Amino acid sequence: MTQEIKTIPFTYEALSQLKMSEGVLELQIGPAHAGSGHMRIVAWVEGDTVVKVDPDIGFVHRGVEKLSEDRIYIKAIPMVERPSLVDTVNANLGYVMALERLLGIEPPPRAQYIRVITAEISRIMSHLYGIAIYGIFMGSSTVFMWAMADREPFIDLLQELTGARITYSHIIPGGVRWDLPKDFAENAEIALKYLENRTKDYEKVWINNPVVVARSMGVGKLSAEGAIRLGVVGPNLRASGVKYDIRKEEPYAAYEEFDFEVPTFKEGDSYSRLLQRVEEIKQSIHIIRQALKRLPDGKIIYEDYYKRMSPLMKKIYDEKGRVKFTLMLTSLSPPKGEAVSRVEGGRGEMFYYLVSDGGKAPYRFRVVTPSFRNLPFFTHVMPGHKLADIPVIYGSIDYFPPEADR
Amino acid sequence: MMDFLNLIPVTWLPLLESVFYALVFPGFIAILLLAFFIIWFERKAAARVQMRYGPLWVSKRTGGIAQLLADMIRFSFQEFIVPEGADLIPFVFLPGFLLAFSVLPTLFIPIGPYYSHIFPAGYTLLLSVAFTLVIPVYLVVLGWAADNKFSFIGALREAYLLISYEVPFILAIASAFLLYGTLNLVEVVTIQERSLPGIILNPVAALVFLIAVIRATGRVPYDIVEADSELVFGPYVEYSSLMFGFVMGVPYIELYSYSLLFSVLFLGGWAPITGVGFLGGLIIPGIVTFVKAVIVMCALVFLRGVYPRYKLDKAVRAGWSWVFYLALIALLLSAFMSRVL
Repeated sequence: MTQEIKTIPFTYEALSQLKMSEGVLELQIGPAHAGSGHMRIVAWVEGDTVVKVDPDIGFVHRGVEKLSEDRIYIKAIPMVERPSLVDTVNANLGYVMALERLLGIEPPPRAQYIRVITAEISRIMSHLYGIAIYGIFMGSSTVFMWAMADREPFIDLLQELTGARITYSHIIPGGVRWDLPKDFAENAEIALKYLENRTKDYEKVWINNPVVVARSMGVGKLSAEGAIRLGVVGPNLRASGVKYDIRKEEPYAAYEEFDFEVPTFKEGDSYSRLLQRVEEIKQSIHIIRQALKRLPDGKIIYEDYYKRMSPLMKKIYDEKGRVKFTLMLTSLSPPKGEAVSRVEGGRGEMFYYLVSDGGKAPYRFRVVTPSFRNLPFFTHVMPGHKLADIPVIYGSIDYFPPEADR
Repeated sequence: MMDFLNLIPVTWLPLLESVFYALVFPGFIAILLLAFFIIWFERKAAARVQMRYGPLWVSKRTGGIAQLLADMIRFSFQEFIVPEGADLIPFVFLPGFLLAFSVLPTLFIPIGPYYSHIFPAGYTLLLSVAFTLVIPVYLVVLGWAADNKFSFIGALREAYLLISYEVPFILAIASAFLLYGTLNLVEVVTIQERSLPGIILNPVAALVFLIAVIRATGRVPYDIVEADSELVFGPYVEYSSLMFGFVMGVPYIELYSYSLLFSVLFLGGWAPITGVGFLGGLIIPGIVTFVKAVIVMCALVFLRGVYPRYKLDKAVRAGWSWVFYLALIALLLSAFMSRVL
């Protein structure tokens, strides 16, 4: 169980040609298994020790990239949200940022702040979801229920803002669709306070639980060099001690105006990945408070788009703070070129690449999701551990098969 | 009631009492009623901790206590599937065997001061423990018979844990024997009535006993054999229909037998109530013992709301290290306390 990265080449051929000794049992964990999610983990075990793991992904491939190529630009927004269902705002933001770079427009500050607020709420929900899945994989239904239920105040917040519970499609090119409701700041403060109070319960039942510590401390260790070499991203990378956060490295939206820390841990084991998520939730709470306090006044849509609205649309915007989809938004055709955007999603770096040929739909669209980047954990970290550690490592990296399959 | 008893030949009484024991109380019917309660309690208590309702819609006025009945009806209309490669006879018959053997220990645990079975009363502790120890062997066979890799791994885990926790369990029983100096459970309670309950005389033995019970009945955090996120219910993975209901019910009945034994060994059984006749000598002391056992059961099933699952290798190591040492300490403590008594 020492932490060296296994030097198995990461190709299917190499994995399948690996010599197996006698007495090795091949286990097909998934796709219909309580601990697999929408994927198959083929694990070879010798005794109770896992000697080789082959993740078989692609069961929930949705073809987001290809489907986007024959739809107008803004119709891709609901589609990019679908793969990472618990972190929709960040996915939405990443795509729209790439599109805005193609169009050469910059949203006004108020829209940027609202984007930061919703993105951080989404990050909190994503981390809570990760903790919930970690809990149920380790056999604690209590933490599963708690963390799932504690997403509720935040879902309600965004429901009040957007009308939807999971897939908001709130961020559009040039700004956001709805302005914050009047009592949003108060409700947000209530939700944040609630979560802060709940942290103590989590510490009692989950984080300081002796069984949790015994099962996850030292399990699934990945050193900083190993994490960089395998190219893992997000909280998993930072839990291994690499201080890398897109929000700091390449600030987008309004992130450079906020004061927040990038928490890191040295150990790089499953337990520190859990603590990493808890710390990041605390930082997100901090960011949301700052953003709500310093929320600038002004438009929530790109100035030029507002000017070109019809009088009726302008009236609706002025009265309700709501941007209707005008012809101008639905017939976006960016100039020929390509653009790239990176955002720090809940699970890690999300990468979007858009190529335009001047038409009404993308010529090529590419998405790289954090779960896919975290896949090497299966092949390189799991071997050498016990069979019971597979769900622990799986849960601790917050792997989400639909997100990886896109 | 007494007139009715007078009509029966005296030589029949032990036999009749045995039948009453096995079928009515604390045997079969009591177990069925208790199973309803304890499964309902486990789900309700966990639900309370987890901020949800738990069973609710089946008989809403009683808080969903009839949920298990609804589940059993549903199970009984399901198809019973036998996997192609399964070893037919053990696969089909073992759940029934398991159920029977999990009920049997209750026959040897006296619930009142007048225990006059056809079985030798001087060896009740030994007999009840012996019958509880048969179940894991069947579980291992059952896991092998299903011809499924996960059930096979579950059976192996059961075997590992069985060996590493049975030794502390037997040592805890041995320290109880050393403490009371008798294998007759009626005398055990009499001694406790005279002095103090066993849990005060030897708390370490009681603790080791409880740990072994949690292990043997697969309660959280020792649900390593079932492990739904790793082995999808381990040895039981291939069962469907009523058979699934049977194998899921077995741990609860086991838990009941162990708790009854615990309440007699360490909680003073029916003490301080003693009486004569059918009502005063059997039913009222029986209810006292029973309530003590149910409290123990409730405490043990509540652990589900608190702990996640432990790991096999760590559990085995714990079984051979600190649980074993605790059992040895319990033995020494018993040796000391038996001098004092």
